[in-house]
This record gives sequence, C-alpha cells and structure tokens, in this order.
Amino acid sequence: MDGKELIGRMKPLSQVESMKQVAPLTNAMFPGTHCPLMGAAMAVRGIRDSLIIIIGTDECAYYTKHMTLHSDDFGGLGGRCVSVVLDGHDVTFGCLKKVEAAFGEVMAEYHPQAVFLVTTCVVEIIGDDMDAAADALTERYGIPVMAVHTEHFKCENHLPGLERTITACFSLMDNLPCDGSVNLLGQRMGRFEDTELSGVLQRAGVKIGLQLPCGCTVADVKRAAAAKVNIVVNEIALPLAQKMQTNFDIPYVFFDRFSAPERIAACYAQLFQALELPLPAELAALEQQARDMQAKGTAALTGVTYIYGNTPFRTFEFNRFMVDMGMVPLVLQTSALTPEDAADKAAILAKCDPYVTKTANIAPLQYVYDVLHPMLYLGHEYANRLRQKGIALVRTDGASSMLGFEVTGYAVQALMTAAQEARALRKGGAD
Amino acid sequence: MGLCRYLPTPSDRMGILWSLLAIGDSVIVEYGPAGTTHFSMSLFGELGVDQQNRLFTTHMSEDDVVMGDVSRLEKALVEVDHGYHPRVIFVVASSVSAVIGTDLQGVCAYMQEKVNARLIAFEQGGFRGDYSVGIQAAYRLLAQDVAEANVPRKAGTYNILGASAGFFRMESDVREIERLMQEAFGMELNACLCLDTSVEKIQQMGCAEINLVLREEAVPAARILTQKCGTPFLLGAPYGYAGTLAWLEKIGQQIGRVVSPALRAALKKRAMEVMQYRIYGMMLKVNKPQVALFGDAPMVTGMSSFMDELGFPVVAKISRHSLRLYEAAAPSVRYLPEEKDRIAAMQALHHTLVLADDISKRLLAKDNTFLRVSMPLVDGAQIATHLPFMGPRGADFILEAVEVYLETLR
Repeated sequence: MDGKELIGRMKPLSQVESMKQVAPLTNAMFPGTHCPLMGAAMAVRGIRDSLIIIIGTDECAYYTKHMTLHSDDFGGLGGRCVSVVLDGHDVTFGCLKKVEAAFGEVMAEYHPQAVFLVTTCVVEIIGDDMDAAADALTERYGIPVMAVHTEHFKCENHLPGLERTITACFSLMDNLPCDGSVNLLGQRMGRFEDTELSGVLQRAGVKIGLQLPCGCTVADVKRAAAAKVNIVVNEIALPLAQKMQTNFDIPYVFFDRFSAPERIAACYAQLFQALELPLPAELAALEQQARDMQAKGTAALTGVTYIYGNTPFRTFEFNRFMVDMGMVPLVLQTSALTPEDAADKAAILAKCDPYVTKTANIAPLQYVYDVLHPMLYLGHEYANRLRQKGIALVRTDGASSMLGFEVTGYAVQALMTAAQEARALRKGGAD
Repeated sequence: MGLCRYLPTPSDRMGILWSLLAIGDSVIVEYGPAGTTHFSMSLFGELGVDQQNRLFTTHMSEDDVVMGDVSRLEKALVEVDHGYHPRVIFVVASSVSAVIGTDLQGVCAYMQEKVNARLIAFEQGGFRGDYSVGIQAAYRLLAQDVAEANVPRKAGTYNILGASAGFFRMESDVREIERLMQEAFGMELNACLCLDTSVEKIQQMGCAEINLVLREEAVPAARILTQKCGTPFLLGAPYGYAGTLAWLEKIGQQIGRVVSPALRAALKKRAMEVMQYRIYGMMLKVNKPQVALFGDAPMVTGMSSFMDELGFPVVAKISRHSLRLYEAAAPSVRYLPEEKDRIAAMQALHHTLVLADDISKRLLAKDNTFLRVSMPLVDGAQIATHLPFMGPRGADFILEAVEVYLETLR
C-alpha cells in the first residue's frame, strides 16, 4: 500500500469535531475492533456468582468460551460461561423456546445467583424479545435474569457491552440506608485493592462497597445503594452512576485513569469533599512525586514522536499530557471524541495538529510508519515488526489496574523506557 | 441443540476461514461486524495459521444492515486488490450478512471487472452446518474455481485433499504422508487442500498423477478434478502399520507404481510385531483392554482400524462433526449433536484407553488413560510438526500411549 496515499485519507485533528468525521484508515480493516459481546463477558467475569448465557451463532459462542478457558474468574472450561447456539431453524422461527429449555438446564446444574442473557447480532436482527424472556425467567425461577444486547453493528467497540452489563445490574439494587461506603464502578481490569486510590481510601477509614465489574458478588450489587458516594473510574459506569444518583440520591465522582497530576489531584479533592472527609495529608507527597516524574519525563521526552493506538488511558487527556511534556503526536487513533474531550483537544491543537483516524486497524499502519517514521507506538502492535522499522512499542497495559498519582509515574516511565529503546534502535538518531 | 456448556462444534464459516487462511497469495475479506474477526484471532493463532495481511474485515453499520448498502465492501475489495495484489480475494459472509441475504456472488460478479484478483464468494454465514460442511465448500470451490484445466501432467507428483489446520496434528500428518510417498514411490507433493499451500499450487493441481483424499468432505472436489483434469483419486488415510501398507498399495495399483520393497518390508515387520498385543485380551483377567475414540470421523475410523490390528475392541466411536456428508460412514461411528449425550458417553467409560480431545479429558473418570488426538485444545498448545498420528510414526506414538494404558490394567 502507498503510505502517502493513506496519510492523505486522514484528517488533521483541527478538522475533526465528532467521530462521524473520523475515517478509518482503510475500508478493509485488520484486526478490527472488539465486539460488545466480549465486553459483556468481561463484565460478567467480575461478578463471581453470576452466569453468562450467550445466545448466538456457534462462532460467537466458541470465541467467547475460548476467551474464558484460562480464566480462573470464570472457572475455566466448566465455568460460568455457557451458550445457546442458534441454527437456521432458530433464525427462521425464533429461539425463545430453546433459550427457555437451556435455562432449565443451567438452573439445575449451575445454581447461579443471577444470569445475564447476552444476545448477539443475529438475535437482534431476528427480533426475539429477550427482555420479555428475561422477565419471564426471573418470575419463573426467582433469580434475577437480565437481558444484555450486544449487536456490534450498532456500536464502535466492546465498551457498550461492558456498559450495558453493569447498567443492567441496577435492577438488582435495593434501596438501603446509607452506610458511609463508596462503590467503585467501571474498573475493567485488575484488582481495586492493588490501586493507590484503594490504599488512600482505606487509610482514611472509608469502607469500600461494591466493586463492579472488577470483583463482586450478586449480594454486593444488591447492597450497592447503601453507599455514600460512587466513584466512577471509567465512562462505561456513568449510566449506572447516573441512575443511582437519580433513584437513590447517591452522588458520583468521575475519577478516571487520568495521567496529569493536577487532574488527579482534582479528583481526590472532589472525592473527599463528597465523602465529607478531610483530604489525606499523604496526597501532597504523592502529587509531588508525580510532578517530579512529569518534570523528568519532560527532560527526557521532548521531541519524541509517536503514533497513538490504544492504551488504558483516556485518549485525549493522555495525549495532552504527552504533548505537554514536549512529545510530538503524528497520528492519533481513537474510537471516541466527546464534548468532554474539547479542552484536551484544544490544548493539543495549541502545540501540534496530528492526523486522526479510527482504532483497531494496524494492517495498513505499517505503510504509514514508512512515511512518518515515529519513534514510538502506543498500543497493541507486533513489537518485532515495529522494531524492524526503528519504532519502540510503549507497553502500558499495566496501568489498567492503577488509579491515582501512580498512573503518572507508570506512564512516564513506560514512555522513557520506550524512547530509550527507540534511540538505541536508531543509534542515537532521536537525539 | 440445547445448552452448550463447553465449546460448540465450529461452524461451516469457521471451517471455511481456517481452510482459506492456509492459501498463500490470497486474502480473505469478511463482510460483517469487525468484532467477529478480532475475536477469531486467538483461535487462528492457536491453529497456527497466519493472519497478517491475509484477513480483513469491512465491519458493518446499522445502515448497512437496514438498507443493504454494500459500498464499504466494494471499496474494501478495490483497496485490498490495489494495496496487496493478491491472486485471489475470498469474500466471506458473516452471520449478519447471511441473515439479511446479502448477494455476495452478485457483488463479486460486478466487482470482478474492477479488480485484478479473482473474486470468490463464500455465502455461508454459519447456518448451513458445522465445519465439516464448511471445509467441503472450501475444497469444492477451490477445485472448481481456482484449479485450472489443461495443466500438463508432471510425473511423480500428487495432491492431498482433505487436510486442514483445524485438525489436531494435521501438519505432522501431512509431513508423514510426504515422507511415505517419497519413500514408497519417490513422489513429491504439489498442492495440499488446505494446509500451507498457495494459489499457484492449487491452479496447477491438474499436474498430479493422483489426488490423495483424506476425508469424504474432499470427495466432491476430487470428482471435479477428475472431470476437469482426468486425475484419479483415492479416498483413505494411512493409520497403523498394516493400514499404511494397504493404503500405499492401493495408491500403487492406481498409478501403476510399486511400493518400495524396503518400506514394504519394514511395515510388514511392524504389523507382525504388534500382533503380540492381542495376547493382552487373553492375559488380563479383571480389565480387558478397550478403546474409545472421539474426533474427526476419518481419524476415528483410521484409529479404529489400527486398534483392530492390536486386537483391542473399540467401545465408542464418536465423531466431532456431523456425518451428513459421509456417504460411506461406518454405522458404528456416531455423531452426538446434544452435548449432554456426549458428556454421558465419556462419563460412562472406565478402564479405557480414550483417544479424544481436552474436553473429554475433563469428563473422564480417573481410571481411564487419555491421549489427546483431536481439537479443541484446552491445555497447552500444538507446537510440533513432526508428531503424526498417521503412518508408522503415528502408530509408534500411539503405541507408547497403549503401553502406559496397559500398565493400568489387571
């Protein structure tokens, strides 16, 4: 492919106002985005005594089960991911009877506390009313059964699957008196106990309530409305938090995986204000460490060019953070551009104007590398292929289980390590 | 089929994809939601098939589904043709495009004049059956649309039909067949449908003296090649020592060649030696040796024949896939479409040598002896390409498991 031609297809960030204006690099994509079915499975994984029933093709069922085979959380091969596989007859005449029959087998063998009926593309096309089926099964078996719709042709990636699954949990919640706890909503990977935020809250004497979807039981979900504050660590949990605010009067604080120290400090301040507790003294030291790391990063990373793919961070916030350290984005890949990103976008544009394209299409990117020659690639790519082109891969997946000032240090260190590798690959050319 | 607790049987579409991914100089464009393509990566990686610059998705939006708009597919075809210059682009339907009735054949027909690559459509979206149906469709279309007529005969060459990355140890088996054919007749492999091959080799399939058809799904393709190129074919696979020799002799008869005396003597010697295993059936008083087989039907049938050589009765012969394409399936080989029936069959086994897949392993009582001979893999990975189940080397390997098993019997 012609890299220059591909670059010509991308718009600069300054010419983009919404995702509709962001074009994929090519029409034929590889590997493409993850689907919401996978997102739903990721969410159910953390709700320990619940079960997921995938209703779809052999292929949807196979790949999802395959994903769970080595997951202790799911219980491996015999674990709590099962399926109802549709055939041509079901597509023509509907699959509700088959689902009902399979559900009976699930109840007899698995004894779940709650069940998520996850529909896939084909079910949504044939129009079986799985919401009504879920209601009927709830009534019949006396356990919560929730329908989660995961058709991929209506959304960009897997995140709606996560969002819909955890939002469906609202129906489990009972109205309870406040016990002063905080719920953690939206952490997808890792354990909350391992995060800086968790430690800060525990040392401040704050009781941790529901952790959805990174580790909870159905009983935890039912007690969630006893919380004083919800901490939302990813946008996927905003609809649930907003519902809980409306129905149970529980405020929420948006505490995403920010990388800029001032942004993290603001989150902590807002959180402790909502908790009506003094700001812990330890935070000042943590913030200073993060700022020191940022300064170190600025010294080491100024002028380092990169292509941004997919990381655990908020795309525009993190890119603003990198640009503020003097780094130079050449291409930003994103799956979302929201009004909340406006300030970060403007800050990036004040210093540079990178190309922007959609995520999850690494096949044609290799031709773009040959024209733009970035030093770093952030996201999931084939590291050896990048190395051959003098590009270092920035590994940031470890940040998935981080919240707070620890994110700054981790991110800067990952960038500095990769920049050093890129310079070595180019024998000092980056200097 | 009711509740599926484990991995469902892969669909026709999955069989098509892993077959086509084995063909160099070609590209697959999937017309469907991108998530399926991304999700498939881990399975195809496990099967050892390369996807880089070989597999693409167009994704589909709600507008495409509701309005039947195929413009993104049209653009993708032009783009792949222009960007990667494949000889063939396989356009594969998704479950979504199949359900809404997208006319992929029609799209390929009018797009053909706009691209250099040959366009071949597969409209199976996962609803026409399991992978057995899919691989049959792949072999048939390749024989029909890619293999060329009037290819000059090249003495000493043959094709293999019926291989596929989706079968456990298939690459090892193909290597063993290559070794046997070289040693027996001094012949070389041309194309292998579908493992580690290329469009060019498939185009030249007509050069072969014979097509070796390893499973019934490939018979329609073999018949097409007989009509198109006049190539004879032999259905069967070399399992066991006597079985391998019989298979080679049939090939020899068909192409007028004689099996090398050294190989014939070696196989005969081994066939004689393993007759000693028959004595265990008489010696053991409490547990008589018995075998259960689960996997692809041709493997089940072939292994069963080898167990006959040893004098071990086979108490269960269960096919992993449906048998509706098998005109000559042995009545003792069963397909159990309901997973719970298969679970019951495995749980009922005791003091048995079970040659099956990793799911069966989890279901077995501890007094059984297990050897993995079939997909799917749950434990570990498939790495070796030199550990066949076919041929004398495969028989040697199986015998090692037999020896372990016999130690458990009284």
